Amino acid sequence: MSRVASIALHTFKESVRERVLYNLIAFALLLIGAAILFGSISVGVEEIILVNLGLSSISVFGLLMAIFIGIGLVSKEIERRTIFSILSKPVHRAEFIVGKYLGLLLTLVINTAIMTAGFYVALLYQKRTLRLADLLVLEAVYFILLQFALVVGLALLFSCISTPVLSAVFTLCLYIIGNLLGDIRWFGQETGNALVENGTAVLYYLLPNFGNFNAISQVSHGEGIPGYLLISNSLYALLYVAILLSASIMIFEEKEFR
Amino acid sequence: MRAGALPTFLQLGGRKTAWAVLIACFLALVPLQRGVDRQLTAQRKLEESLYLPSGKILRRLAMGHEGLLANIYWTRVVQYFGRKKLAHSARFDLLGRLLQITTELDPQLVIAYRFGAIFLAEKPPGGAGQPQVALQLLRRGIVANPNYWRLWQDVGFIYYWDLKDYASAARAFQTGSERPGAHLWMRVLAATVAAEGGNIASSRLLWSEIYRQADDDQIRRSAFEHLQALRAQEDLEEINKLLGQYRQKQGRAPGSLQDLVAGGYLPAIPRDPSGAPYRLAPEGSAGLSQGSKVDLRLLQ
Repeated sequence: MSRVASIALHTFKESVRERVLYNLIAFALLLIGAAILFGSISVGVEEIILVNLGLSSISVFGLLMAIFIGIGLVSKEIERRTIFSILSKPVHRAEFIVGKYLGLLLTLVINTAIMTAGFYVALLYQKRTLRLADLLVLEAVYFILLQFALVVGLALLFSCISTPVLSAVFTLCLYIIGNLLGDIRWFGQETGNALVENGTAVLYYLLPNFGNFNAISQVSHGEGIPGYLLISNSLYALLYVAILLSASIMIFEEKEFR
Repeated sequence: MRAGALPTFLQLGGRKTAWAVLIACFLALVPLQRGVDRQLTAQRKLEESLYLPSGKILRRLAMGHEGLLANIYWTRVVQYFGRKKLAHSARFDLLGRLLQITTELDPQLVIAYRFGAIFLAEKPPGGAGQPQVALQLLRRGIVANPNYWRLWQDVGFIYYWDLKDYASAARAFQTGSERPGAHLWMRVLAATVAAEGGNIASSRLLWSEIYRQADDDQIRRSAFEHLQALRAQEDLEEINKLLGQYRQKQGRAPGSLQDLVAGGYLPAIPRDPSGAPYRLAPEGSAGLSQGSKVDLRLLQ
Protein backbone atom coordinates (compact mmCIF):
# COMPACT_ATOMS: atom_id res chain seq x y z
CA MET A 1 0.00 0.00 0.00
CA SER A 2 2.83 2.35 0.85
CA ARG A 3 4.30 1.66 -2.59
CA VAL A 4 1.01 2.70 -4.23
CA ALA A 5 0.98 5.83 -2.07
CA SER A 6 4.53 6.76 -2.96
CA ILE A 7 3.85 6.29 -6.71
CA ALA A 8 0.68 8.38 -6.31
CA LEU A 9 2.60 11.11 -4.51
CA HIS A 10 5.32 11.06 -7.13
CA THR A 11 2.71 11.30 -9.91
CA PHE A 12 1.05 14.18 -8.09
CA LYS A 13 4.36 16.04 -7.76
CA GLU A 14 5.09 15.41 -11.43
CA SER A 15 1.61 16.60 -12.48
CA VAL A 16 1.80 19.85 -10.58
CA ARG A 17 5.00 20.66 -12.45
CA GLU A 18 3.05 20.67 -15.75
CA ARG A 19 2.66 24.24 -16.98
CA VAL A 20 -0.54 23.41 -18.82
CA LEU A 21 -2.17 22.82 -15.44
CA TYR A 22 -1.64 26.38 -14.29
CA ASN A 23 -2.76 27.80 -17.62
CA LEU A 24 -5.98 25.83 -17.43
CA ILE A 25 -6.65 26.85 -13.82
CA ALA A 26 -5.99 30.49 -14.74
CA PHE A 27 -8.42 30.27 -17.66
CA ALA A 28 -11.05 28.61 -15.48
CA LEU A 29 -10.76 31.28 -12.78
CA LEU A 30 -10.88 33.99 -15.43
CA LEU A 31 -14.08 32.54 -16.88
CA ILE A 32 -15.65 32.23 -13.43
CA GLY A 33 -14.83 35.91 -12.84
CA ALA A 34 -16.21 36.81 -16.28
CA ALA A 35 -19.52 35.20 -15.30
CA ILE A 36 -20.17 38.25 -13.09
CA LEU A 37 -19.85 40.55 -16.11
CA PHE A 38 -21.87 38.19 -18.29
CA GLY A 39 -24.69 38.22 -15.74
CA SER A 40 -24.83 42.00 -15.82
CA ILE A 41 -25.81 42.11 -19.51
CA SER A 42 -28.71 39.72 -18.95
CA VAL A 43 -31.91 40.08 -16.92
CA GLY A 44 -32.84 38.23 -13.74
CA VAL A 45 -30.35 35.36 -14.10
CA GLU A 46 -27.15 36.81 -12.62
CA GLU A 47 -26.70 34.07 -10.02
CA ILE A 48 -27.86 31.28 -12.36
CA ILE A 49 -25.29 32.38 -14.95
CA LEU A 50 -22.54 32.43 -12.34
CA VAL A 51 -23.41 28.89 -11.20
CA ASN A 52 -23.76 27.56 -14.75
CA LEU A 53 -20.64 29.22 -16.14
CA GLY A 54 -18.64 28.53 -12.97
CA LEU A 55 -19.47 24.83 -12.86
CA SER A 56 -19.12 24.42 -16.63
CA SER A 57 -15.65 25.99 -16.43
CA ILE A 58 -14.66 23.64 -13.62
CA SER A 59 -16.00 20.71 -15.63
CA VAL A 60 -14.47 21.60 -19.02
CA PHE A 61 -11.05 22.69 -17.75
CA GLY A 62 -10.86 19.75 -15.34
CA LEU A 63 -11.71 17.45 -18.23
CA LEU A 64 -8.90 18.97 -20.30
CA MET A 65 -6.47 18.50 -17.40
CA ALA A 66 -7.59 14.89 -16.93
CA ILE A 67 -7.09 14.12 -20.62
CA PHE A 68 -3.86 16.00 -21.27
CA ILE A 69 -2.09 14.76 -18.16
CA GLY A 70 -3.77 11.33 -18.10
CA ILE A 71 -2.69 10.34 -21.60
CA GLY A 72 0.97 10.71 -20.67
CA LEU A 73 0.77 8.80 -17.40
CA VAL A 74 2.21 5.54 -18.74
CA SER A 75 3.47 6.45 -22.19
CA LYS A 76 5.79 9.15 -20.81
CA GLU A 77 7.39 6.68 -18.43
CA ILE A 78 7.97 4.31 -21.35
CA GLU A 79 9.24 7.08 -23.61
CA ARG A 80 11.68 8.38 -20.98
CA ARG A 81 12.61 4.80 -20.11
CA THR A 82 12.05 5.55 -16.43
CA ILE A 83 9.66 2.59 -16.42
CA PHE A 84 12.68 0.25 -16.29
CA SER A 85 14.06 1.75 -13.10
CA ILE A 86 10.60 1.73 -11.49
CA LEU A 87 9.81 -1.85 -12.39
CA SER A 88 13.30 -3.05 -11.41
CA LYS A 89 12.35 -2.10 -7.87
CA PRO A 90 10.02 -4.34 -5.86
CA VAL A 91 6.92 -2.66 -7.36
CA HIS A 92 4.14 -4.74 -8.81
CA ARG A 93 2.81 -3.55 -12.15
CA ALA A 94 -0.71 -3.33 -10.69
CA GLU A 95 0.58 -1.07 -7.91
CA PHE A 96 2.21 1.15 -10.53
CA ILE A 97 -1.10 1.57 -12.43
CA VAL A 98 -3.19 2.18 -9.31
CA GLY A 99 -0.59 4.61 -7.93
CA LYS A 100 -0.50 6.54 -11.20
CA TYR A 101 -4.30 6.71 -11.26
CA LEU A 102 -4.59 7.92 -7.67
CA GLY A 103 -1.82 10.48 -8.17
CA LEU A 104 -3.60 12.17 -11.06
CA LEU A 105 -6.95 11.96 -9.31
CA LEU A 106 -5.40 13.72 -6.31
CA THR A 107 -4.11 16.45 -8.64
CA LEU A 108 -7.58 16.89 -10.09
CA VAL A 109 -9.26 16.95 -6.66
CA ILE A 110 -6.93 19.70 -5.51
CA ASN A 111 -7.36 21.69 -8.73
CA THR A 112 -11.12 21.33 -8.53
CA ALA A 113 -10.97 22.54 -4.92
CA ILE A 114 -9.03 25.63 -6.06
CA MET A 115 -11.50 26.35 -8.88
CA THR A 116 -14.45 25.79 -6.51
CA ALA A 117 -12.91 28.21 -4.01
CA GLY A 118 -12.60 30.71 -6.89
CA PHE A 119 -16.25 30.14 -7.71
CA TYR A 120 -17.33 30.85 -4.11
CA VAL A 121 -15.23 34.03 -4.05
CA ALA A 122 -17.05 35.18 -7.21
CA LEU A 123 -20.40 34.22 -5.65
CA LEU A 124 -19.56 36.14 -2.49
CA TYR A 125 -18.55 39.15 -4.56
CA GLN A 126 -21.83 39.03 -6.47
CA LYS A 127 -24.22 38.36 -3.57
CA ARG A 128 -22.21 40.02 -0.78
CA THR A 129 -23.17 37.05 1.40
CA LEU A 130 -23.19 33.26 1.31
CA ARG A 131 -26.06 31.10 2.54
CA LEU A 132 -26.21 27.46 3.57
CA ALA A 133 -28.18 26.74 0.38
CA ASP A 134 -25.12 27.76 -1.68
CA LEU A 135 -23.47 24.54 -0.52
CA LEU A 136 -25.78 22.73 -2.98
CA VAL A 137 -23.23 23.60 -5.64
CA LEU A 138 -20.86 21.13 -3.98
CA GLU A 139 -23.17 18.27 -4.98
CA ALA A 140 -22.68 19.17 -8.65
CA VAL A 141 -18.93 19.58 -8.04
CA TYR A 142 -18.91 16.06 -6.56
CA PHE A 143 -20.56 14.71 -9.72
CA ILE A 144 -17.98 16.57 -11.82
CA LEU A 145 -15.25 14.87 -9.79
CA LEU A 146 -16.87 11.49 -10.43
CA GLN A 147 -16.71 12.30 -14.16
CA PHE A 148 -13.02 13.14 -13.79
CA ALA A 149 -12.46 9.80 -12.05
CA LEU A 150 -13.88 8.03 -15.10
CA VAL A 151 -11.99 10.22 -17.59
CA VAL A 152 -8.66 9.63 -15.82
CA GLY A 153 -9.40 5.89 -15.88
CA LEU A 154 -10.10 6.02 -19.61
CA ALA A 155 -7.01 8.13 -20.32
CA LEU A 156 -4.87 5.75 -18.30
CA LEU A 157 -6.26 2.73 -20.15
CA PHE A 158 -5.55 4.27 -23.54
CA SER A 159 -2.16 5.45 -22.31
CA CYS A 160 -1.29 1.77 -21.82
CA ILE A 161 -2.19 0.78 -25.35
CA SER A 162 -1.65 3.77 -27.60
CA THR A 163 0.26 6.95 -28.34
CA PRO A 164 -0.59 10.14 -26.40
CA VAL A 165 -2.33 11.80 -29.36
CA LEU A 166 -4.51 8.80 -30.13
CA SER A 167 -5.21 8.33 -26.40
CA ALA A 168 -6.48 11.92 -26.21
CA VAL A 169 -8.70 11.39 -29.25
CA PHE A 170 -10.11 8.10 -27.92
CA THR A 171 -10.76 9.52 -24.45
CA LEU A 172 -12.47 12.61 -25.82
CA CYS A 173 -14.59 10.52 -28.22
CA LEU A 174 -15.68 8.21 -25.43
CA TYR A 175 -16.52 11.21 -23.27
CA ILE A 176 -18.74 12.63 -26.02
CA ILE A 177 -20.35 9.25 -26.79
CA GLY A 178 -20.81 8.69 -23.05
CA ASN A 179 -22.81 11.92 -22.88
CA LEU A 180 -25.04 10.88 -25.76
CA LEU A 181 -25.68 7.27 -24.70
CA GLY A 182 -29.29 7.94 -23.73
CA ASP A 183 -29.99 9.29 -27.22
CA ILE A 184 -28.08 6.48 -28.92
CA ARG A 185 -30.23 3.92 -27.13
CA TRP A 186 -33.38 5.84 -27.96
CA PHE A 187 -32.43 5.99 -31.65
CA GLY A 188 -31.90 2.22 -31.55
CA GLN A 189 -35.35 1.70 -30.07
CA GLU A 190 -36.89 4.01 -32.66
CA THR A 191 -35.52 1.99 -35.60
CA GLY A 192 -37.68 -1.01 -34.65
CA ASN A 193 -34.84 -3.27 -35.78
CA ALA A 194 -34.08 -5.88 -33.10
CA LEU A 195 -30.39 -6.09 -34.03
CA VAL A 196 -29.83 -2.33 -33.85
CA GLU A 197 -31.94 -2.10 -30.72
CA ASN A 198 -29.94 -4.79 -28.94
CA GLY A 199 -26.67 -3.40 -30.24
CA THR A 200 -27.41 0.08 -28.87
CA ALA A 201 -28.61 -1.46 -25.59
CA VAL A 202 -25.27 -3.28 -25.24
CA LEU A 203 -23.40 -0.02 -25.95
CA TYR A 204 -25.58 1.72 -23.39
CA TYR A 205 -24.43 -0.59 -20.61
CA LEU A 206 -20.91 -1.17 -21.88
CA LEU A 207 -19.69 2.42 -22.29
CA PRO A 208 -19.33 4.89 -19.41
CA ASN A 209 -22.56 6.86 -19.08
CA PHE A 210 -21.36 10.41 -18.44
CA GLY A 211 -24.92 11.69 -18.78
CA ASN A 212 -25.61 10.31 -15.28
CA PHE A 213 -23.45 13.01 -13.75
CA ASN A 214 -24.93 16.10 -15.42
CA ALA A 215 -26.46 18.08 -12.57
CA ILE A 216 -25.22 21.62 -13.20
CA SER A 217 -28.49 23.00 -14.55
CA GLN A 218 -30.49 21.40 -11.71
CA VAL A 219 -28.22 22.87 -9.04
CA SER A 220 -28.28 26.31 -10.70
CA HIS A 221 -32.03 26.44 -9.94
CA GLY A 222 -31.40 25.61 -6.29
CA GLU A 223 -32.63 22.03 -6.62
CA GLY A 224 -30.64 19.46 -4.67
CA ILE A 225 -29.64 16.05 -6.00
CA PRO A 226 -31.66 13.21 -4.44
CA GLY A 227 -29.71 11.02 -1.99
CA TYR A 228 -30.30 7.81 -3.95
CA LEU A 229 -28.77 9.42 -7.05
CA LEU A 230 -25.72 10.51 -5.06
CA ILE A 231 -25.24 6.96 -3.81
CA SER A 232 -26.00 5.16 -7.08
CA ASN A 233 -23.77 7.48 -9.13
CA SER A 234 -20.93 7.05 -6.61
CA LEU A 235 -21.31 3.29 -6.90
CA TYR A 236 -21.48 3.49 -10.69
CA ALA A 237 -18.25 5.51 -10.85
CA LEU A 238 -16.56 3.16 -8.37
CA LEU A 239 -17.51 0.06 -10.39
CA TYR A 240 -16.54 1.61 -13.70
CA VAL A 241 -13.19 2.85 -12.38
CA ALA A 242 -12.55 -0.68 -11.08
CA ILE A 243 -13.29 -2.03 -14.58
CA LEU A 244 -10.97 0.52 -16.24
CA LEU A 245 -8.13 -0.06 -13.77
CA SER A 246 -8.48 -3.85 -14.09
CA ALA A 247 -8.31 -3.57 -17.88
CA SER A 248 -5.29 -1.24 -17.64
CA ILE A 249 -3.53 -3.63 -15.26
CA MET A 250 -4.25 -6.61 -17.54
CA ILE A 251 -2.80 -4.78 -20.56
CA PHE A 252 0.14 -3.43 -18.62
CA GLU A 253 0.92 -6.89 -17.18
CA GLU A 254 1.19 -8.27 -20.71
CA LYS A 255 3.27 -5.39 -22.02
CA GLU A 256 6.87 -6.09 -22.91
CA PHE A 257 9.35 -3.24 -22.64
CA ARG A 258 12.45 -3.23 -24.84
CA MET B 1 32.84 42.49 -37.20
CA ARG B 2 33.97 39.79 -34.86
CA ALA B 3 32.36 36.40 -35.23
CA GLY B 4 31.28 36.35 -31.59
CA ALA B 5 29.56 39.73 -31.84
CA LEU B 6 27.42 38.72 -34.83
CA PRO B 7 24.77 36.66 -33.03
CA THR B 8 24.32 39.34 -30.37
CA PHE B 9 23.78 42.00 -33.00
CA LEU B 10 21.38 39.78 -34.94
CA GLN B 11 19.55 38.90 -31.78
CA LEU B 12 19.05 42.55 -30.86
CA GLY B 13 18.17 43.54 -34.40
CA GLY B 14 15.94 40.52 -34.78
CA ARG B 15 14.07 41.25 -31.58
CA LYS B 16 13.46 44.86 -32.55
CA THR B 17 12.31 43.84 -36.01
CA ALA B 18 10.02 41.23 -34.52
CA TRP B 19 8.47 43.81 -32.19
CA ALA B 20 8.02 46.26 -35.05
CA VAL B 21 6.42 43.59 -37.25
CA LEU B 22 4.17 42.47 -34.42
CA ILE B 23 2.89 45.97 -33.61
CA ALA B 24 2.54 46.92 -37.28
CA CYS B 25 0.57 43.78 -38.02
CA PHE B 26 -1.76 44.34 -35.07
CA LEU B 27 -2.36 47.93 -36.15
CA ALA B 28 -3.02 46.80 -39.72
CA LEU B 29 -5.50 44.20 -38.48
CA VAL B 30 -7.95 46.81 -37.19
CA PRO B 31 -8.73 48.56 -40.52
CA LEU B 32 -8.60 45.20 -42.28
CA GLN B 33 -11.22 43.72 -39.94
CA ARG B 34 -13.38 46.82 -40.29
CA GLY B 35 -13.25 46.42 -44.06
CA VAL B 36 -14.26 42.78 -43.79
CA ASP B 37 -17.09 43.71 -41.42
CA ARG B 38 -18.38 46.32 -43.86
CA GLN B 39 -18.40 43.82 -46.70
CA LEU B 40 -20.04 41.11 -44.67
CA THR B 41 -22.72 43.29 -43.10
CA ALA B 42 -24.42 43.58 -46.45
CA GLN B 43 -24.38 39.83 -46.94
CA ARG B 44 -25.32 38.55 -43.51
CA LYS B 45 -27.80 39.76 -40.99
CA LEU B 46 -26.39 38.16 -37.90
CA GLU B 47 -29.12 39.64 -35.78
CA GLU B 48 -31.84 37.89 -37.73
CA SER B 49 -30.25 34.45 -37.80
CA LEU B 50 -30.49 31.52 -35.46
CA TYR B 51 -27.27 29.58 -35.05
CA LEU B 52 -29.21 26.39 -34.52
CA PRO B 53 -32.97 26.41 -34.90
CA SER B 54 -33.81 23.72 -32.37
CA GLY B 55 -33.36 23.85 -28.62
CA LYS B 56 -33.84 20.10 -28.45
CA ILE B 57 -30.84 19.48 -30.74
CA LEU B 58 -28.78 22.03 -28.86
CA ARG B 59 -29.69 20.32 -25.60
CA ARG B 60 -28.29 17.03 -26.91
CA LEU B 61 -25.10 18.71 -28.11
CA ALA B 62 -24.61 20.58 -24.85
CA MET B 63 -23.34 17.47 -22.98
CA GLY B 64 -24.43 18.60 -19.54
CA HIS B 65 -23.88 22.30 -20.14
CA GLU B 66 -27.42 23.04 -21.39
CA GLY B 67 -27.98 25.39 -18.44
CA LEU B 68 -25.10 27.57 -19.58
CA LEU B 69 -26.35 27.50 -23.19
CA ALA B 70 -29.83 28.50 -21.98
CA ASN B 71 -28.28 31.45 -20.14
CA ILE B 72 -26.42 32.47 -23.31
CA TYR B 73 -29.65 32.25 -25.35
CA TRP B 74 -31.57 34.18 -22.68
CA THR B 75 -28.94 36.91 -22.77
CA ARG B 76 -29.32 36.91 -26.56
CA VAL B 77 -33.08 37.39 -26.09
CA VAL B 78 -32.49 40.36 -23.78
CA GLN B 79 -29.94 41.92 -26.13
CA TYR B 80 -32.12 41.30 -29.21
CA PHE B 81 -35.18 42.82 -27.52
CA GLY B 82 -33.18 45.78 -26.20
CA ARG B 83 -31.66 46.54 -29.61
CA LYS B 84 -35.03 46.33 -31.36
CA LYS B 85 -36.64 48.53 -28.75
CA LEU B 86 -33.89 51.13 -28.99
CA ALA B 87 -34.30 51.13 -32.78
CA HIS B 88 -38.11 51.60 -32.31
CA SER B 89 -38.60 48.54 -34.48
CA ALA B 90 -42.08 47.09 -34.79
CA ARG B 91 -40.77 43.69 -35.94
CA PHE B 92 -39.47 41.14 -33.46
CA ASP B 93 -39.29 38.18 -35.85
CA LEU B 94 -36.80 36.10 -33.88
CA LEU B 95 -38.09 36.77 -30.39
CA GLY B 96 -40.54 33.86 -30.16
CA ARG B 97 -38.04 31.33 -31.59
CA LEU B 98 -35.20 32.53 -29.37
CA LEU B 99 -37.43 32.18 -26.33
CA GLN B 100 -38.49 28.71 -27.43
CA ILE B 101 -34.86 27.60 -27.77
CA THR B 102 -33.99 29.12 -24.38
CA THR B 103 -36.81 27.31 -22.61
CA GLU B 104 -36.20 24.04 -24.46
CA LEU B 105 -32.60 24.16 -23.28
CA ASP B 106 -33.62 24.86 -19.69
CA PRO B 107 -37.35 24.30 -19.06
CA GLN B 108 -36.90 25.44 -15.43
CA LEU B 109 -35.62 28.91 -16.37
CA VAL B 110 -38.84 30.60 -15.23
CA ILE B 111 -37.48 34.09 -15.75
CA ALA B 112 -37.43 33.40 -19.52
CA TYR B 113 -41.15 32.54 -19.53
CA ARG B 114 -42.11 35.51 -17.34
CA PHE B 115 -40.05 38.27 -18.97
CA GLY B 116 -40.32 36.64 -22.39
CA ALA B 117 -44.13 36.79 -22.16
CA ILE B 118 -43.95 40.49 -21.31
CA PHE B 119 -41.59 41.16 -24.24
CA LEU B 120 -43.89 39.25 -26.59
CA ALA B 121 -47.24 40.57 -25.40
CA GLU B 122 -46.60 44.30 -25.09
CA LYS B 123 -47.79 46.36 -28.04
CA PRO B 124 -45.16 47.76 -30.46
CA PRO B 125 -42.92 49.67 -30.10
CA GLY B 126 -42.73 48.55 -26.46
CA GLY B 127 -42.87 44.89 -27.44
CA ALA B 128 -43.67 42.42 -30.19
CA GLY B 129 -47.48 42.72 -29.88
CA GLN B 130 -47.91 38.92 -29.98
CA PRO B 131 -50.03 38.07 -26.90
CA GLN B 132 -51.06 34.67 -28.31
CA VAL B 133 -47.40 33.64 -28.73
CA ALA B 134 -46.79 34.90 -25.18
CA LEU B 135 -49.63 32.68 -23.93
CA GLN B 136 -48.14 29.67 -25.76
CA LEU B 137 -44.79 30.34 -24.08
CA LEU B 138 -46.41 30.60 -20.65
CA ARG B 139 -48.41 27.40 -21.20
CA ARG B 140 -45.18 25.55 -22.00
CA GLY B 141 -43.74 27.03 -18.82
CA ILE B 142 -46.72 25.80 -16.81
CA VAL B 143 -46.30 22.26 -18.18
CA ALA B 144 -42.60 22.28 -17.20
CA ASN B 145 -43.19 24.00 -13.82
CA PRO B 146 -46.73 22.98 -12.79
CA ASN B 147 -46.45 24.28 -9.23
CA TYR B 148 -45.11 27.71 -10.09
CA TRP B 149 -48.24 29.81 -9.54
CA ARG B 150 -46.78 33.09 -10.85
CA LEU B 151 -46.96 31.78 -14.43
CA TRP B 152 -50.75 31.65 -14.00
CA GLN B 153 -50.61 35.22 -12.77
CA ASP B 154 -48.82 36.16 -16.00
CA VAL B 155 -51.38 34.25 -18.11
CA GLY B 156 -54.18 36.12 -16.35
CA PHE B 157 -52.37 39.39 -16.84
CA ILE B 158 -52.06 38.92 -20.61
CA TYR B 159 -55.74 37.93 -20.90
CA TYR B 160 -56.68 40.96 -18.82
CA TRP B 161 -54.40 43.64 -20.18
CA ASP B 162 -53.56 42.68 -23.76
CA LEU B 163 -56.54 40.61 -24.88
CA LYS B 164 -59.24 42.26 -22.68
CA ASP B 165 -60.66 38.78 -22.13
CA TYR B 166 -61.72 39.23 -18.51
CA ALA B 167 -63.45 35.86 -18.13
CA SER B 168 -60.27 33.97 -19.16
CA ALA B 169 -58.18 36.29 -16.98
CA ALA B 170 -60.37 35.53 -13.95
CA ARG B 171 -60.09 31.78 -14.65
CA ALA B 172 -56.28 32.00 -14.89
CA PHE B 173 -56.03 33.95 -11.61
CA GLN B 174 -58.35 31.41 -9.98
CA THR B 175 -56.31 28.41 -11.24
CA GLY B 176 -53.09 30.07 -10.10
CA SER B 177 -54.57 30.78 -6.67
CA GLU B 178 -55.07 27.02 -6.20
CA ARG B 179 -51.36 26.25 -6.72
CA PRO B 180 -49.19 25.63 -3.66
CA GLY B 181 -47.78 28.79 -2.10
CA ALA B 182 -49.98 31.15 -4.16
CA HIS B 183 -50.65 34.53 -2.56
CA LEU B 184 -54.14 35.16 -1.22
CA TRP B 185 -54.61 38.23 -3.40
CA MET B 186 -54.73 35.95 -6.46
CA ARG B 187 -58.15 34.83 -5.22
CA VAL B 188 -59.17 38.44 -4.63
CA LEU B 189 -58.00 39.31 -8.12
CA ALA B 190 -59.90 36.38 -9.64
CA ALA B 191 -63.10 37.46 -7.88
CA THR B 192 -62.67 41.18 -8.70
CA VAL B 193 -61.93 40.58 -12.37
CA ALA B 194 -64.79 38.06 -12.66
CA ALA B 195 -67.25 40.50 -11.07
CA GLU B 196 -66.11 43.83 -12.48
CA GLY B 197 -64.10 43.06 -15.63
CA GLY B 198 -61.64 45.70 -16.76
CA ASN B 199 -62.55 48.67 -14.57
CA ILE B 200 -60.06 50.99 -12.93
CA ALA B 201 -60.35 49.31 -9.51
CA SER B 202 -59.32 45.87 -10.76
CA SER B 203 -56.59 47.38 -12.94
CA ARG B 204 -55.22 49.21 -9.93
CA LEU B 205 -55.28 46.03 -7.86
CA LEU B 206 -53.40 44.17 -10.61
CA TRP B 207 -50.69 46.78 -11.09
CA SER B 208 -50.33 47.39 -7.34
CA GLU B 209 -49.55 43.73 -6.78
CA ILE B 210 -47.09 43.69 -9.69
CA TYR B 211 -45.42 46.79 -8.26
CA ARG B 212 -45.30 45.27 -4.78
CA GLN B 213 -43.78 41.97 -5.85
CA ALA B 214 -41.46 43.06 -8.67
CA ASP B 215 -37.84 42.02 -8.14
CA ASP B 216 -36.77 43.81 -11.27
CA ASP B 217 -36.45 47.62 -11.44
CA GLN B 218 -37.75 47.79 -15.01
CA ILE B 219 -40.97 45.96 -14.12
CA ARG B 220 -41.42 48.02 -10.96
CA ARG B 221 -41.01 51.22 -12.98
CA SER B 222 -43.48 50.02 -15.58
CA ALA B 223 -46.02 49.14 -12.85
CA PHE B 224 -45.45 52.55 -11.27
CA GLU B 225 -46.08 54.32 -14.57
CA HIS B 226 -49.26 52.30 -15.13
CA LEU B 227 -50.47 53.16 -11.62
CA GLN B 228 -49.76 56.85 -12.29
CA ALA B 229 -51.72 56.67 -15.54
CA LEU B 230 -54.65 54.97 -13.77
CA ARG B 231 -54.69 57.65 -11.09
CA ALA B 232 -54.56 60.40 -13.70
CA GLN B 233 -57.44 58.79 -15.57
CA GLU B 234 -59.49 58.67 -12.38
CA ASP B 235 -58.65 62.33 -11.63
CA LEU B 236 -59.63 63.38 -15.15
CA GLU B 237 -62.97 61.56 -14.89
CA GLU B 238 -63.62 63.37 -11.59
CA ILE B 239 -62.68 66.80 -13.00
CA ASN B 240 -64.87 66.19 -16.07
CA LYS B 241 -67.81 65.49 -13.74
CA LEU B 242 -67.20 68.84 -12.00
CA LEU B 243 -66.95 70.57 -15.39
CA GLY B 244 -70.39 69.15 -16.24
CA GLN B 245 -71.79 70.43 -12.94
CA TYR B 246 -70.27 73.87 -13.59
CA ARG B 247 -71.83 74.04 -17.06
CA GLN B 248 -75.22 73.01 -15.65
CA LYS B 249 -75.21 75.59 -12.84
CA GLN B 250 -73.53 78.52 -14.63
CA GLY B 251 -75.10 77.91 -18.01
CA ARG B 252 -71.72 78.29 -19.75
CA ALA B 253 -68.48 76.39 -20.12
CA PRO B 254 -65.57 77.41 -17.89
CA GLY B 255 -62.65 79.20 -19.58
CA SER B 256 -60.07 77.36 -17.50
CA LEU B 257 -59.80 75.16 -14.44
CA GLN B 258 -59.22 78.34 -12.44
CA ASP B 259 -62.96 79.05 -12.94
CA LEU B 260 -63.73 75.78 -11.06
CA VAL B 261 -61.51 76.98 -8.22
CA ALA B 262 -63.14 80.41 -8.20
CA GLY B 263 -66.59 78.78 -8.22
CA GLY B 264 -65.71 76.62 -5.22
CA TYR B 265 -65.81 73.33 -7.13
CA LEU B 266 -62.13 72.71 -6.48
CA PRO B 267 -59.92 73.93 -3.58
CA ALA B 268 -56.98 74.42 -5.98
CA ILE B 269 -55.94 73.40 -9.47
CA PRO B 270 -55.24 69.69 -9.08
CA ARG B 271 -51.94 68.17 -10.12
CA ASP B 272 -51.35 64.86 -11.83
CA PRO B 273 -49.14 62.13 -10.22
CA SER B 274 -46.03 63.56 -11.92
CA GLY B 275 -46.70 66.95 -10.27
CA ALA B 276 -47.86 68.84 -13.37
CA PRO B 277 -51.19 70.74 -13.11
CA TYR B 278 -54.16 69.46 -15.10
CA ARG B 279 -55.52 71.83 -17.73
CA LEU B 280 -58.67 72.46 -19.66
CA ALA B 281 -58.25 71.12 -23.20
CA PRO B 282 -59.58 73.18 -26.17
CA GLU B 283 -62.45 70.68 -26.69
CA GLY B 284 -63.72 71.52 -23.21
CA SER B 285 -62.67 68.46 -21.22
CA ALA B 286 -59.87 68.11 -18.67
CA GLY B 287 -56.49 66.88 -19.86
CA LEU B 288 -52.82 66.58 -19.03
CA SER B 289 -50.57 69.60 -19.40
CA GLN B 290 -47.64 69.53 -21.80
CA GLY B 291 -45.12 69.17 -19.00
CA SER B 292 -46.80 66.07 -17.63
CA LYS B 293 -44.79 62.86 -17.44
CA VAL B 294 -47.88 60.67 -17.20
CA ASP B 295 -48.50 58.51 -20.28
CA LEU B 296 -52.21 57.77 -20.72
CA ARG B 297 -51.44 55.67 -23.83
CA LEU B 298 -50.33 52.92 -21.46
CA LEU B 299 -53.98 52.29 -20.67
CA GLN B 300 -55.05 51.77 -24.26
